[in-house]
Amino acid sequence: MKLIYIHKALVAGSIISMLSVYNASADVNVQCPCDLNGDADCTDPGEIYENVLPEDQDIKCMHLGSGDGYATMADGSVRYIFGFSDMTGIPTNPPPADVAEQVLSKGMLAAAYPAPVIELNENQEFYLTLTNVGMVIRPDLFDPHTVHFHGLPNATPIFDGLPESGISINMGSSLTYYYKLNDPGTYMYHCHVEAAEHMQMGMVGNLYVHPEQNGTPYGYGGKTYTQFAYNDGDGSTGYDVDIPIQLGSFDSAFHDASENTQPLPFALMFDNYPTLNGRGYPDTIIDEALPSPDRGSGSLNNSIQSQVEDSLITAAPGQRVLLRLSNLSITRPYSIGTMGVTMLVVGKDARQLKSSGPSPVNLYYATNSLTVGPGESFDAIVEIPENASTGDRYFLYTTNLNYLVNSDDNTDGLGGMMTEIQVVN
Amino acid sequence: MKSFKTAIRINLFAIVCILFYTIHAGAAIEGISGTNFNLTAKNGEISTPDGGNYLFWGFANGNGLVQYPGPTMIVNQGQTITVTLNNNITVTQGARPNVSIVFPGFNVTAVGGVDGILTKEAVPSGTVTYSFKAENPGTYTYYSGTDSGLQIEMGLVGTLIVRPAMGSGYAYNHADTAFDREFLFFLSEMDPRVHEMVETFGPDLVDTTDYLANYRPVVWFMNGRAAPDTMAENDVAWLPHQPYNCFPRMHPGEKLLMRVVGGGRDIHPLHHHGNHAKVIAREGRMLSSGPGAGPDYGYGVFTIQSQPGSTVDAIFTWTGKGIGWDIYGDADSHTCTPGPDGLDPVSFEDCSDHGKPIPVTLPGQAEVAFGGFYSGSPFLGGVDALPPGEGGLNPNGGFSFMWHSHTEKEMVNYDIFPGGMLTMIIIEASTVTID
Repeated sequence: MKLIYIHKALVAGSIISMLSVYNASADVNVQCPCDLNGDADCTDPGEIYENVLPEDQDIKCMHLGSGDGYATMADGSVRYIFGFSDMTGIPTNPPPADVAEQVLSKGMLAAAYPAPVIELNENQEFYLTLTNVGMVIRPDLFDPHTVHFHGLPNATPIFDGLPESGISINMGSSLTYYYKLNDPGTYMYHCHVEAAEHMQMGMVGNLYVHPEQNGTPYGYGGKTYTQFAYNDGDGSTGYDVDIPIQLGSFDSAFHDASENTQPLPFALMFDNYPTLNGRGYPDTIIDEALPSPDRGSGSLNNSIQSQVEDSLITAAPGQRVLLRLSNLSITRPYSIGTMGVTMLVVGKDARQLKSSGPSPVNLYYATNSLTVGPGESFDAIVEIPENASTGDRYFLYTTNLNYLVNSDDNTDGLGGMMTEIQVVN
Repeated sequence: MKSFKTAIRINLFAIVCILFYTIHAGAAIEGISGTNFNLTAKNGEISTPDGGNYLFWGFANGNGLVQYPGPTMIVNQGQTITVTLNNNITVTQGARPNVSIVFPGFNVTAVGGVDGILTKEAVPSGTVTYSFKAENPGTYTYYSGTDSGLQIEMGLVGTLIVRPAMGSGYAYNHADTAFDREFLFFLSEMDPRVHEMVETFGPDLVDTTDYLANYRPVVWFMNGRAAPDTMAENDVAWLPHQPYNCFPRMHPGEKLLMRVVGGGRDIHPLHHHGNHAKVIAREGRMLSSGPGAGPDYGYGVFTIQSQPGSTVDAIFTWTGKGIGWDIYGDADSHTCTPGPDGLDPVSFEDCSDHGKPIPVTLPGQAEVAFGGFYSGSPFLGGVDALPPGEGGLNPNGGFSFMWHSHTEKEMVNYDIFPGGMLTMIIIEASTVTID
């Protein structure tokens, strides 16, 4: 019997012994069954996974903060955002005497854009703690926040993050979500409190679940794969490289109104910064974190680099690249196209495209353009031609061509919702 | 924007509290049935929860009240359907318009009226008669074929449902399309500038503006109502021209047929919290590999992309499978007897989770904000104490989810969130009667 199962039994026992499922006190409270020091990981000395290989871990924990911060657009302008920050790794147990200083201040102005990537495995149990650190720039707001795991099958309201049907966490406190991951695929997550406002302000991110089939070799198209989009049983969703690409867009007038405590223009909302993973081209292909947002007089957010996620895709000739596409714009669908390579769509909304019935067949389709509505996801595989050369570039870009801009800065002709697939060896 | 939210929540609370004493969340879609229909096009007023009132042109059933969307006509496969259209639309200035109806997906014969581009049109105070055979079951839309850019915006649009020969409990002629409950999700939007222009100066003046070209909707509807009116009862007196609600309730394990109609001119991504749904048909055609195979080419989604003029049929269900804790709470309060799929065939609890406690400790009540549909308990059918003024919209402790446009800017009434294209559904515990 593996250690983790013993531990889980102990944890279950300790929870059963509690009289109530509710916590009595208000505090930062990171819950993770395999964690001793409250940092939401299980790799510290003495912790249960210290000597366990990652593939044997079936519990994953994470600690997110929710608050505000800044992001830099591809035209150099800096905009105010709401967002999530990754607070995993900050010890919270026992709670430090100066918990606010030790924990809450780490999340202040730390909002990332987009939200930190959440990468999970099928069969994992995921304990996600959300601590609301408050909004430094908008102290007049006392908004709660949530995490909505968008698309989780058989959801329950208590962990759905929908404030209307459940609970949302107030400033200074933590709420731990529990999810059992039974279905692989490409999902997404976002805050659902006052969704039109908080999502426009940036509380959106990538989330995907790897299938159980990973690690089992399957031959497909003359090659052998060990990583797959789904439990396909035939290797047809096998890939060499995968990347989450979240389509989004941003209305700078809305963000500026928020920063300046003005009435928010919902009816007049018009997104002028189309993005992939929170950046416009050419920032999408900078394969490192962008500098800390700065309007010319120093960092606005304690030198935090709030945009760590790029969209540059690199692959070798003959390799298959899995694009995990989702759209969390709140204003419109976007069509995304490829130049030079064709997408094979193998999944939609975290389901493999496959027929049902006695003898199922794959229902994949090839396309050069895919329309992704807000809240939809697609899994598409592109194959780099065998005869491609190092340095060759293919393009992934919105075919709503008027959105290839970074606001009105289109002097270079191309910007906005575009990235590159670069051939390497 | 806490203050807006609180204000709306109070409204919602008041509305729904009244409703829960009279609620009849029926298993069927409200509409008119038969083979001969008399529709009258005329003027009316639409209300939105932000206090808006807009002139619209719509269809009425005979001499009844004009409504938005038009009456849902429910017919049976194989019948020959006759629809007589009477044009009673009036205008403030200029000429009264011709009106017509097109029925995409049907081979229509039009008699009377005058020739239009798409079909025969009823002149002012005139009539025209359309007839067609309802050959294929499914969900369809009908709308004006005259000056459609303006007239659909004005409200001349509705739903047509053809029930299959197999019976009313099926969407199509295959056992895999069976359902327990069905609901309409007619999605549309309006740009008030157009309606105000027509009301004040007549329709001809709209042609002098760019309103239809540079369309800018700011109110969004499900079944002709903007939230929270979507959750009020059908046929409430205070929404005389918007008779259809959109407030599904169901039990775990039941199959809920979603008939999704793109009734406006924008794409609307309908995100249904709770679980995936299986799309079984588009445009009144089952997604099937061939005769007898049923909807085997259907696919699972968590967001239905509804396109203008298009229809989607999808089957939603929800069970406790794979959740990882006992959804009914205390193991002593209930039993779980697994069926072949591991689920209790009545409660739809996953018996492998029976007795497992919820895996985390929830924050204290002072640490959280409560939703109006939160019952105070994380468990299905559970109700627990909440601070004064909280909760109250979900008296049976059902699992409640939001179904909404994921173009979240459409979840507003003008500048006020929440509203627009959203509604809630409630999955009631198996012991709760839904009448």
